[in-house]
Amino acid sequence: MRQFFPVQDLARDERFVQTNMAERMADARTALDPEKKSKKSRGSSNRITPERHDASDAARGLMHGIMVGEIQALEGAGRTAHDFEAGDGSGDTIPFELKLDMARQAWDEARHVEISAKLSDWMGTELGQFAENTVLFQAACSDDPVLRLAGVNRALEGLAIDVFTQMKEFGNLAGDPYLAFCEDWMLADEVTHVKMGSDWLRKVTEKDPERRAKALEFQQVVDKLFSFGGARGDSEESPIGLARRFRELAGFTDGEVDKIAEMDHDAFEERMAAVRLAQEAAGASPAPA
Amino acid sequence: MADAPATTTVTVTPEEFHFVKYEASAIAAVVAELAELLGVTNPVHVVVDETTPLAKMSAEVGGTSSDATITIRAESGALEDTQHLTHFSADSARGALGRMMLRARDRLRPDFADTPGDLDLSLTENAAWDTYCAGRLARIGLPVNQQRFRYNHRNRFGFSDAVDAHFARLWAADDLGWADLCE
Repeated sequence: MRQFFPVQDLARDERFVQTNMAERMADARTALDPEKKSKKSRGSSNRITPERHDASDAARGLMHGIMVGEIQALEGAGRTAHDFEAGDGSGDTIPFELKLDMARQAWDEARHVEISAKLSDWMGTELGQFAENTVLFQAACSDDPVLRLAGVNRALEGLAIDVFTQMKEFGNLAGDPYLAFCEDWMLADEVTHVKMGSDWLRKVTEKDPERRAKALEFQQVVDKLFSFGGARGDSEESPIGLARRFRELAGFTDGEVDKIAEMDHDAFEERMAAVRLAQEAAGASPAPA
Repeated sequence: MADAPATTTVTVTPEEFHFVKYEASAIAAVVAELAELLGVTNPVHVVVDETTPLAKMSAEVGGTSSDATITIRAESGALEDTQHLTHFSADSARGALGRMMLRARDRLRPDFADTPGDLDLSLTENAAWDTYCAGRLARIGLPVNQQRFRYNHRNRFGFSDAVDAHFARLWAADDLGWADLCE
């Protein structure tokens, strides 16, 4: 069976359309209006809560993002179990027990795909209705398994902890009997996946501080990508909050979570500056709906 | 032989888009098609806020006569192809603008005279009216995902059999007044 599978070769049927971060970053629109901070303005908060006028559609879009993320996480964990030979963790090898953990994660992700697809159906979304961002699988394409652990298990599965916590809260507040329940169960798995990443990263790089530093640097790059525009953080501008308690359970230090919050804040400011420039260039004056 | 329906005048602002790949003429064509389907003869002005990807919409009518202008305000996400961001989707536009045109048509009725402006509606009032509009669009043959509106209805009114029955009643209705919607 083929090893090291590039993102453009992912198998999808005709319902799915793929996109990437570059396309997303090229979109000069913003959901936020930093100049208009009135309480009634939708632009004053970006957090996904039932109080938002577009709550149902926002939750549907996020759930579809979760579903395609689960498909890619399944593909990524499966690849990591298969792409590297069993060994002591040096070079291109990974410990056999790490392979087993990746296989277990693939099994979890397969279950999550099914759950997310059913939840999407429950929420009135068709599979493939929204563009699929393939950034998760791209992070799982590194030649170094330790970078995959950092990029996928710690950065992206860490994001999943934040997203599932947000969706669980949404389900609880809206009184949705299935959403909160399903997200809670998947959240428990995600905490385990991040913990596996934290533990294996530490173990495999125990005698190789340079490799560990490189992996943590890669994790920050992926974290920064996912903080694009201030997508998740402690502030109300972030659609997704940081689930600090669950991140702590998964092996993140307070300092690491603070760093993500800081990156999110910087990314938000960068995005706002870019949006202002784009609006000036277009000579646009927003017409409030 | 029935008279041919009067042609609706449609204008779109802005005439040229910079943030999204929309064409004013494509939006106008969808509105004209909907006007014919829904029997709306009033002039329609569509104002698109292309600076935001959000999808809020509102409709207002400058009076109750057949020549009163219907103004529809839409954030760009309401007309967007969700598979190709920043691209226009005629199907999304038909669903979103269709609901707004039905709201405007409702507002021309005497039993909608006391209806608050779209931006002053509560979340539940909005959801009930959306259900009523989406059901009617589905019956004239537009592609509408009923479950999407059922989910929105449940989010606003609760997850129960009674709420589902309320949804089914509004979805199947064709001749409600504002008071019926708020029951």
